[in-house]
Amino acid sequence: MKFKCAELKEFEIVGRPLPKGDEKMPVYKMTIFAPDEIVAKSRFWYFLRQLKKVRKVNGEILRMTEMSNSSPTKIKNFGIWVRYDSRSGSHNMYREYRDVSRTGAITQCYRDMAARHRARPHSIQIMKIETVKAADTKRPVIKQMHDSKIKFPLPHRILKFNKKSIFVADRPSTMQ
Amino acid sequence: MLYKRYIEIGRVCFIRLGDDVGKSAVVVDLVDQKHLMVDGPGGLGRKVVRLNQVALTDIKINIPRGCKTKTVRTALAKEGVEAKLAATSLVKKFAAKNAKAQLGDFARFKNRVAKTASNRKIRSTVRKLKKSS
Repeated sequence: MKFKCAELKEFEIVGRPLPKGDEKMPVYKMTIFAPDEIVAKSRFWYFLRQLKKVRKVNGEILRMTEMSNSSPTKIKNFGIWVRYDSRSGSHNMYREYRDVSRTGAITQCYRDMAARHRARPHSIQIMKIETVKAADTKRPVIKQMHDSKIKFPLPHRILKFNKKSIFVADRPSTMQ
Repeated sequence: MLYKRYIEIGRVCFIRLGDDVGKSAVVVDLVDQKHLMVDGPGGLGRKVVRLNQVALTDIKINIPRGCKTKTVRTALAKEGVEAKLAATSLVKKFAAKNAKAQLGDFARFKNRVAKTASNRKIRSTVRKLKKSS
């Protein structure tokens, strides 16, 4: 279904049920992370249908804008609230990622959920994503990067293997 | 210390893979265990690179974490990093490899002829020395 792309895009979609006559219809706005516009619209209707009594046939999208990254050179900590279906039930999760953009963090989240919980994209719902201050982060993997004097070596570095030299006289050095 | 080159703020790196091959950059921040935020002179600018795209050099400059591009540039100029980098084997090897790739067919022919001639001379000298000993 999803994920043919390198990184997801963030769309802000505004839609409403079609007015019957003169009555004012409520307007709904959603933030959808999707690889392209078509999937974004589809997911918009999917979620809206679950929450409100409106279907694509009886509704219209008023506005769809792709949100751009506000600060692509600033590293941020993102807290993502996820709801996903496992094999035996539905669960809520709070996950943290460090990235330069919201879309990058969400993409990481989808990959991570697939890897750690075998959750497919269709069973993942992003409930909320927020930038979290370093002091408020919870996960040790994220907190370990908040050291102002952070440094680590690259012990036993194995770079891309050169197939021309499978057999060599001397053991190659992995010191960087 | 066993390890001399660390991934740290201010470490000067050489980009060995990806779109910006051959450019040098300074580590300005760390995204996670596998990604760095680097800033480099010239066309590189400020961007996120993967750790395996990067080769570390011995050069380290003093910059605060996440500092502005201008600060990075002035620090680089102050420490004379460009000259130090040009002396590193990484940069020299890359330049040599690039130069070789740019050679035309005639240049490659000239090189081959010169190599054959020098090899012939070496072998004949070695043979003479072997005979005399």
